[in-house]
Amino acid sequence: MSGGGREEHEQQQQQQARQTSPTPLPGVSSASTSAAAAAAAAAIGGLAVGVAAGSSGGRATPEMKRSAVRSLIQRYFHQLQSGCGNAHCTNANCASSGKVASMTPNEVAARALQLFSQDAQLCDSASPAPPASSPQQDVDMLSPNDSSSSSSNSSTSTITSASTTTTTSTQSQSAPQIEGERTTRPGMLIDLLGIPNPTTTAAAQAECALLNVDDSGTCTPTRQPTEFLDAETLEALYEQGLASDSYDRLCQAIADVFSSVDRLSKSFVCRPGQERRHLLEKSKSGMNKEQLRALEGEHDKDEDSTQEAETNEHPNVSDNEQEPDDDDDVPMRQPNPDPSDEFLHKPCRVDFRGLRQIKRLLFGSACQSISEKVTSCVVQLADFIRYMRLYRQDSWEQVLHCLIICFDMVTNTTASNSQTDMEYVDRVLSKLCHAASNMPVRAQARLAVIWSEYCPDQLQELLSMCQQQITLEVLSDEESVRENENIISVTKVLKIVFYANILSSELERPSCRQPLEQAEGEGAAAATATEEGEDLFMYSSLSQPHMPKFAEDPLEKSLQVSYIDCRNPHVPLEEFYNEALSEHIQMHQDYLSYKTLAMESELGSSHTNYFCFMLYGFILTPATKVDALYYDCRMRMYSERYSSLYSRMHSYGQDGQDGARPDLKLTVRRDQLINDALIGLELVAMSNPKDLKKQLVVEFVGEQGIDEGGVSKEFFQLIVEEIFNPAFGMFLLHEETNNMWFNATPFENGAQFTLIGIIIGLAIYNNVILAVNFPMVVYRKLMGYRGTFYDLCDWSPTLYKSLKDLLDYQGQDMEEVFEQTFKISYSNVFGEVVEHELVPNGGDVLVGQHNKLSFVNLYADFLLNVDIQQQFNAFRKGFEMVTDESPLKLLFRPEEIEKLVCGSREFDFVELEHSTEYEGGYTEETQIVRDFWSIVHAMPHESKRKLLEFTTGSARVPVGGLKCLRLLITRHGPDSDRLPTSHTCFNVLLLPEYSSKEKLEERLLKAINYSKGFGML
Amino acid sequence: MTAPRRLRKELLDLQESSLKSFRDIKADDDNLLRWTGLIVPDNPPYNKGAFRIEINFPAEYPFKPPKISFKTKIYHPNIDEKGQVCLPIISTENWKPATRTDQVVQALIALINDPEPEHPLRAELAEEFLKDKKKFVKNAEDYTRKHSEKRPAD
Repeated sequence: MSGGGREEHEQQQQQQARQTSPTPLPGVSSASTSAAAAAAAAAIGGLAVGVAAGSSGGRATPEMKRSAVRSLIQRYFHQLQSGCGNAHCTNANCASSGKVASMTPNEVAARALQLFSQDAQLCDSASPAPPASSPQQDVDMLSPNDSSSSSSNSSTSTITSASTTTTTSTQSQSAPQIEGERTTRPGMLIDLLGIPNPTTTAAAQAECALLNVDDSGTCTPTRQPTEFLDAETLEALYEQGLASDSYDRLCQAIADVFSSVDRLSKSFVCRPGQERRHLLEKSKSGMNKEQLRALEGEHDKDEDSTQEAETNEHPNVSDNEQEPDDDDDVPMRQPNPDPSDEFLHKPCRVDFRGLRQIKRLLFGSACQSISEKVTSCVVQLADFIRYMRLYRQDSWEQVLHCLIICFDMVTNTTASNSQTDMEYVDRVLSKLCHAASNMPVRAQARLAVIWSEYCPDQLQELLSMCQQQITLEVLSDEESVRENENIISVTKVLKIVFYANILSSELERPSCRQPLEQAEGEGAAAATATEEGEDLFMYSSLSQPHMPKFAEDPLEKSLQVSYIDCRNPHVPLEEFYNEALSEHIQMHQDYLSYKTLAMESELGSSHTNYFCFMLYGFILTPATKVDALYYDCRMRMYSERYSSLYSRMHSYGQDGQDGARPDLKLTVRRDQLINDALIGLELVAMSNPKDLKKQLVVEFVGEQGIDEGGVSKEFFQLIVEEIFNPAFGMFLLHEETNNMWFNATPFENGAQFTLIGIIIGLAIYNNVILAVNFPMVVYRKLMGYRGTFYDLCDWSPTLYKSLKDLLDYQGQDMEEVFEQTFKISYSNVFGEVVEHELVPNGGDVLVGQHNKLSFVNLYADFLLNVDIQQQFNAFRKGFEMVTDESPLKLLFRPEEIEKLVCGSREFDFVELEHSTEYEGGYTEETQIVRDFWSIVHAMPHESKRKLLEFTTGSARVPVGGLKCLRLLITRHGPDSDRLPTSHTCFNVLLLPEYSSKEKLEERLLKAINYSKGFGML
Repeated sequence: MTAPRRLRKELLDLQESSLKSFRDIKADDDNLLRWTGLIVPDNPPYNKGAFRIEINFPAEYPFKPPKISFKTKIYHPNIDEKGQVCLPIISTENWKPATRTDQVVQALIALINDPEPEHPLRAELAEEFLKDKKKFVKNAEDYTRKHSEKRPAD
């Protein structure tokens, strides 16, 4: 039977986890209070468990010590971050005293650890709960289970074995019957698990013993348990308790409900009709349009998200809206709805409003025992869910109901910031994460959908709770970060949060994920036909960027959503980086797991259960991901090198010709740089494209110097300078953004674009940063996504804004006001005006309300995709030749790729200061000018960016650096209360001669922070 | 030579509307995207002359704003020595594709008639304007007489 196998496996895992979990931190034994706490806990634990389960008592001790230590560290952490609440607190390590410097959560955590090891002072008011209580609670829970089962050492595995056996046996023995019953009683399966029936003795006794042990210490199975709770009942019970000064009945009810999946899933259910109203409110406030769409039955809309509000007001508009022609170039298109979506998107019955109200009672009340009861029950429940195996999707609905309630309490409890809440978070969160991460993918997907639809406002908090949990785990266990089960399960839950975050943001789909080729099928075929004659790079298969099958994310697949759909995530994706984890992860080991998984999937087996953080790229900082890429590059370089050495040895003495070089050698002349590089790389690409993955070694003809990286760096710089020179004719400079863009009417053939593609790929591959200024859409296209209207925002902000104005125009007189046809014009590289018809005879089709969306999409598609298709395909071909097997796409988002290629966009304001000119009486010696620069240099990056945007209208650094801006600072009268102003057209900053540096700083910051809408001319 | 349909219409409309303060509107024969016209201000000190301007439309018009420059020299806080003018309505931040050229010209005429020293391009003129209006008016009148074009007869 499979149950037995599982049990064994789990026991092994737990043993492993124990072995890897560290002994308490140094300093515990010497520190008096904590040692006392730990010792007390150990004593109680030893007694209780020792009586109950004999030899297993020793087991529990380190666990409990750890728990005591953790709760102490938590208290230090909490005290540092939020303070004890006493306004007259004198403790230097308490935020309430005002003596604690502001720190990042990571720093706070580190400091908390330090304080703990020093046994620093803890404020009294911050610790209403005796520190030993939490471990004791654990013991209470453990002991009855252990006593009822002599077969196993651990309580959790007891429950597991009992329940899994039950499930599997009923499944196998009476499957048809169960199936039949289930249709009439959806809760049946859970009933079997949740409400113990007489035959499942072990789990049943354990549970009922546990329910009553706190009150009387004796088992009273005759008492009728509370079947469900809702907000009102709970409130009533609380009032009762308040009146009689005894919360026993409330605790009893909580214990009944919160320890059973079945009962909890019947609790906190919103009344019929309520959830719908709830949803509509959310939709109206712009929270969630997907849901609104579902509600209004608008499944098949050709609309984009900027249109949401409007199309919802006039649902008929988009119904009439048909694309003028039906070819594949039209971007915005909805896929056929997946029938299985019904499971994901059916309404959630949790009564969030009621839940949030009663949370105050559970955690904010003076009575400790209530929150303790909740905490311990949820811990137990989570453990139970963790080992649950259900075979029908629908059965998970009840489990999800429970998990949502429990997670919701994690996030909202911290609002009141009391010690108990932190205890709930600390003890419950990792258990909940274990439970949630063990669910099947569909259930996880459903969890993401529910979070995104019902509580997007909580995602930020949930995220930071999870991050804190991971950071704490990392800091207390730096050595074995990768094996730490807690970190792994929280990471898995973070992935659910990640997708919930994306789902709750404004989505643009599925247009931009439309593969480039599919949409360009016809055109591409034509292009290759014409190219074939000239194109020297024979590399026919231009597929999607490499994404190994095993690395595809099942959750993403199930939800049919990707971060690529989301331009403005609800919570910035950077907040998912965990610095502490990224720092301690030891990427080379993680890369080995990745390779093992890759190998297994190639062999078609998947036995090992390796966890690989590389598949959870969102949590890793770009710097760490670069490490992964670096190992991958090195690995493949070495393997190429090794095989070429090997073939050399073999071919030695045979014909002597075959011997391949171990590296990619390029010999170029300085005055013929592009031609030589072109010919050299062409040769390689034609004969053996794999050679491109070898380490690049460059040699300049007639120059000595062995390339250890420096020479190839120079080579990259020179070649990029030359190719991107607008005079060279391959790329055009967009003055508005300082971006480079493909010249659609170039004089060169595609080969040169392929060359620059190879160069960009090689630069990533060889860890070289290039001075290229592409708009973001280039990186998105390189990752295989089509450019869309949104990409214009970065490509040409003015054009984007104007087209958006056109989209936002609501009047029915659109034809007269805009007089725009489906014929657009642009100027080519010679400054000539070129016209293009977006549809056949477009010059006769006027843009009106019914087709404005299609006009905008076609316009963007033309500029970003169609117009430069030939050039871009050649470019991408080159890029793919180098990167096609690397985990680039797996690890990096387009924004991160940009950073990889161009480095971070640091602003060199010193350079700017040197090139700035002054007018109207100012010189560089004027006091206010000096003050200005000292203020500016001290600004954080973000403010510098704003200042740049304020004075020049663009946050981008021009090619050649800030010195090319030629900023002009002009005196704008004597001291006054006027704000500084600017002329973005000519990079002029108008600065009144303020009376003091403080005033200057205040005025300047106000101006740059509120510049949108006024002040700029 | 091609030009967006709307631009041709706008030119025609402007020419037919025969504004008093903006006349002599022409597009280049070989480039419909470049117009010239004569600004005839009403307010002193600029009512002593007329000023030739050039309007350059981008190929992407009306999705990108036109640019205006003065061909006649003018003593004005908001117009620099090169004839460049910073007009909010056609700045990239404020531009709306529904804005018509006649609205742009009206805004320009308003700016000429009533300088905005709050947002000067020539700070020294703005200061003179604020501190010593008389001197400013006198200078501007002299300058206008010396450099500007003749006002049309009617």
